[in-house]
Amino acid sequence: MKAIFVAVSCLLALTGTLAADTCYQDVSLDCGQASNTLALPRCNAVYGEYGRHGNVATELQAYANLHLERSYEYLLSAAYFNNYQTNRLGFSKLFKKLSDEAWEKTIDIIKHVTMRGDEMNFDQRSTMKVERKNYTVELHELEALAKALDTQKEIAERAFFIHREATRNSQHLHDPEVAQYLEEEFIEGQSEQIRKLAGHTSDLKKFITANNGQDLSLALYLFDEYLQKSG
Amino acid sequence: MKAILLAVVGLLAVCLPASATQCHVNPVNIPKEWVTMHRNCRMSMRQQIQMEVAASLQYLAMGAHFSKDVINRPGFAKLFFDAASEEREHAMKLIEYLLMRGELTTDVTTLLQVRAPERKTWEGGIEALEHALRMESEVTKSIRNVIKSCEDDSEFNDYHLVDYLTGDFLEEQYKGQRDIAGKASQLKKLMDRHSALGEFIFDKKLLGIDI
Repeated sequence: MKAIFVAVSCLLALTGTLAADTCYQDVSLDCGQASNTLALPRCNAVYGEYGRHGNVATELQAYANLHLERSYEYLLSAAYFNNYQTNRLGFSKLFKKLSDEAWEKTIDIIKHVTMRGDEMNFDQRSTMKVERKNYTVELHELEALAKALDTQKEIAERAFFIHREATRNSQHLHDPEVAQYLEEEFIEGQSEQIRKLAGHTSDLKKFITANNGQDLSLALYLFDEYLQKSG
Repeated sequence: MKAILLAVVGLLAVCLPASATQCHVNPVNIPKEWVTMHRNCRMSMRQQIQMEVAASLQYLAMGAHFSKDVINRPGFAKLFFDAASEEREHAMKLIEYLLMRGELTTDVTTLLQVRAPERKTWEGGIEALEHALRMESEVTKSIRNVIKSCEDDSEFNDYHLVDYLTGDFLEEQYKGQRDIAGKASQLKKLMDRHSALGEFIFDKKLLGIDI
């Protein structure tokens, strides 16, 4: 008898945390009070334990911050390749595009964070965050492409990480909404972006080594022209 | 014979690093007389760029605040997210200008820093608009200071940059400030007696919805 009672109260406690009518309960309770304030603490957009278990909520905030930082770094790379000495307008265009995309994604993730009933924290950093040393945007063409490839991979791998955190199939961590968001808005495009940048480095590698390095200056010039004309 | 071979190998070993794969073209020298911007002017331009970036981040925080479920003001959120992108574009325009004048060949990495915005919450739409107005006034004041430092240089009056800042940037600042001020006073009047409904209706107006 006692065991059944315990089991029932456990079940009640469990359904209590998952119940969908808690906002309704708040309303019933508060509207019956002789007061002209309404707290309704459970009338919010939070569901599926978002932000209460695991690190998906904080990682998503950190993901917005990662895009924000990268966006301004790419902007500086775009600026550097557009000065009169480097004068590689194609490389500049490539980085400007990366910057624009990262900026748009920043705003999109912030909106998504608030869509799930959370708030944005601009100080939040990922547990995956790697500190970088000697960071500079003043790099030559192949170095800059390499950095672009590495940072794009970091962004893509971070998406994998958050996706994994969101889909661990545990009762408290499973969040298909975040997983779906990452797949649709990030993961698909990222693979294409990475492949494109890797392709660029392969091309440059061939040009640089070909003909005992004699093609170098012309190759860089032509490749830059190509980048200006291609998307 | 062996000695000669050794010498050749040794010579090769010494020379090899010199013929290591070269991945870039060495910098070239071209005349620099045309690069005429002076130090004070350049420094104040760099600070201005950082200020526009900081403003863009502060507007992002405003957009984030009004996007929250418990705030629910998508019109204000849109207004501030758009303002954030606009500030970013201002920073890019100033960078473009420096590049046109032969600047930013060095010290590009240190040009700007991404720091978390100072403020994260606002009482309501009016407070945010008034904060935005104060922020824009600060930016305007700072642009005026850039103009001063580029104009007052006894050796080089940078007419063109001064004209650009006056004609393009100040123009946009004054128009932007007027727009925010108008919105703030309209909202304040609207909320005088019907604060909750007033802000709601104004927010939808910002979204382009008439109710």
